[in-house]
Amino acid sequence: MRRQILITVAASTLLVLLAFLIPLAWLVRTSAADRASSEATLGVQPLTSTVGILGTGLAGVVADTEAQLGSPVTVFLGNGDIVGSQRPITDSVRLAQGDVANHIAPRAFSASLPDGGREILIPVVGLEAGTAVVRVEVSGSKLTEGVATAWWVLGGLGFALLALALLVADRLARSYLGPVRALTDTAALLGAGELTARVVPSGPPEVTAAGRALNRLGARIGDLLKAEREASADLSHRLRTPVAALRLDVDALSDPEERERMSRDVSELSRAIDHLITEARRPIREGMIPACDATAIVGARVAFWRVLAEDTDRELTVSVAPGPLRVRLVPSDLADAVDALLGNVFAHTPDGTPFRVVLSPRAGGGARLVIEDSGPGLPERDVMTRGASGGGSTGLGLDIVRRSAEASGGALALVPAHDGGTRVVLELGPPT
Amino acid sequence: MIAPVIRERPCKARRGVTVRNVAHVLVVEDDPSIRSALIRTLGERGHAVSSAPDAMTGLREALDSRPDLVVLDLGLPDLDGTELLRMLRAVSAVPVIVATARDDDASVVRALDAGADDYVVKPYSAETLDARIRAVLRRTASPEEEPALQVGGLYVDPRSRVCTMDGEPVELSPREFDLLAYLAARPGQVVSKRELLTEVWRLPYGGADKTVDVHLSWLRRKLGENAQEPRYLISVRGVGVKLVEPAE
Repeated sequence: MRRQILITVAASTLLVLLAFLIPLAWLVRTSAADRASSEATLGVQPLTSTVGILGTGLAGVVADTEAQLGSPVTVFLGNGDIVGSQRPITDSVRLAQGDVANHIAPRAFSASLPDGGREILIPVVGLEAGTAVVRVEVSGSKLTEGVATAWWVLGGLGFALLALALLVADRLARSYLGPVRALTDTAALLGAGELTARVVPSGPPEVTAAGRALNRLGARIGDLLKAEREASADLSHRLRTPVAALRLDVDALSDPEERERMSRDVSELSRAIDHLITEARRPIREGMIPACDATAIVGARVAFWRVLAEDTDRELTVSVAPGPLRVRLVPSDLADAVDALLGNVFAHTPDGTPFRVVLSPRAGGGARLVIEDSGPGLPERDVMTRGASGGGSTGLGLDIVRRSAEASGGALALVPAHDGGTRVVLELGPPT
Repeated sequence: MIAPVIRERPCKARRGVTVRNVAHVLVVEDDPSIRSALIRTLGERGHAVSSAPDAMTGLREALDSRPDLVVLDLGLPDLDGTELLRMLRAVSAVPVIVATARDDDASVVRALDAGADDYVVKPYSAETLDARIRAVLRRTASPEEEPALQVGGLYVDPRSRVCTMDGEPVELSPREFDLLAYLAARPGQVVSKRELLTEVWRLPYGGADKTVDVHLSWLRRKLGENAQEPRYLISVRGVGVKLVEPAE
């Protein structure tokens, strides 16, 4: 932003400077030419008054005038004689002399010369020999004398003004950018989950207002999270308290069989409530940006379960892509999901059943975990439905894995494997 | 420190005990159904039980009747249970078991820091709570006595959390240590996986849960054995696992 401000100020200042300096430079040049012409005209003025009366002394006066002006001076007399610097009689000289026969009056004027100089022609009328013309030649260097210096001064002034404008703009940009940078830093901290981050509102009114609004937003997010935490604690209290009473009542049953059966039911109910509360707490657990490296987590969990595979004579094949593979889950949730899937393999396939674990990158980011066993395959019922699992389990594990997968922007699929076993595909989305 | 008072009281317990030393347990719980269930079930297990429905009544009762142990709920209507615990600790050293629905780490740490002796999350079984009450009373009555356990060449000291095998230290995770200590306290006794999950993990049993199995496998590795050639940890198929002194 600072760069943009500097470029904008530089461009606008440059435009303004050019708009002033170019005409000024032209004016300086014109003024120098006019000054040189005026000096030459004034220099030969005494000569025009004395051309008719000097006679033979005219050549000396012309030479003096030349020396004084430093420019060639020529007097074209009416009888055709030329005194001073020898120059041909040009159309300009004839035009200055005029032509009585053709009713063209003599006239004084100046004209540009091909070499960049200027000639000034002044007619002297009323002489016996006819109209004489005094011509003075101003060279190009005399016409532009002092112009280069003036232009250098103007250029230096323009450069100084531009530098000053940039300096002021930089100071101004800094004074704007400080509060804006504090604002973006605070917003980044809030985005990263640092909910106590606040900005001291300062700078231009708009930025100050944005700072106040950001502080209010941070406080609001904190309040909402606190309310969510309290609601979650309240949910835990409201659900677990009646189950606690139920469990104590079940423990008091005198029939052992009935007590055992009811106790089992209460345990399942309790697990279901635990999972419900865990799910309700997901936003608090995850914070603002949940993320972890699937390579590290899956690698660690597979290493953890490998010993049980060895103890139960299962061949375990593992293929984990080089990391990191970032996914949108907190480490504990991904570890729980992998544990649930690996635990299912041990729970639902006989000892000695081989299984494979493959973790690979997912197109578009995230990771894809495939756990495939050569066991008896999927039961006919829908094992993805909560509580529908067989094998004596509550069936909540897969439901939790599915919820974690969906929370990460992925999905969970269970399909038959090529060899008749079960293939579980866990797609995990990338962090946002 | 106030010594726990063990009161003599005849008690006709349903489960075979007729006369025994009884502990006075004060239950501070606002839910009437849990309160009455605890009075009934702890009474049946040989405790003298009194109760209070709110924090202030509980504090007064704790000071007046000097119970041997307090079972304290945190979600009380007039004052948070943790605050009550702090107030109680300022005037009494009575053992306190916090029994609450709050299972988040922050609540557990707060309660233990405030002086709780143990922490049980609802829904707990009467058996679990009774076992915790007995364990806390045991610890409080003789705090110096928590014996080290020796099974063959295996030595487990729960106080220093040290485990050695034939004199060589064995590195265990906290959960592995708890699991081993639980089994070592019951040498030769088959312990079900359900019991391990409930007592060591403090989780309800889920039937197909393989968490216990994988931790047992790790424990075996660290004790230098495996499932095919067990020495200390013997699985009893369909029943559970037991820790035994290996046969020579």
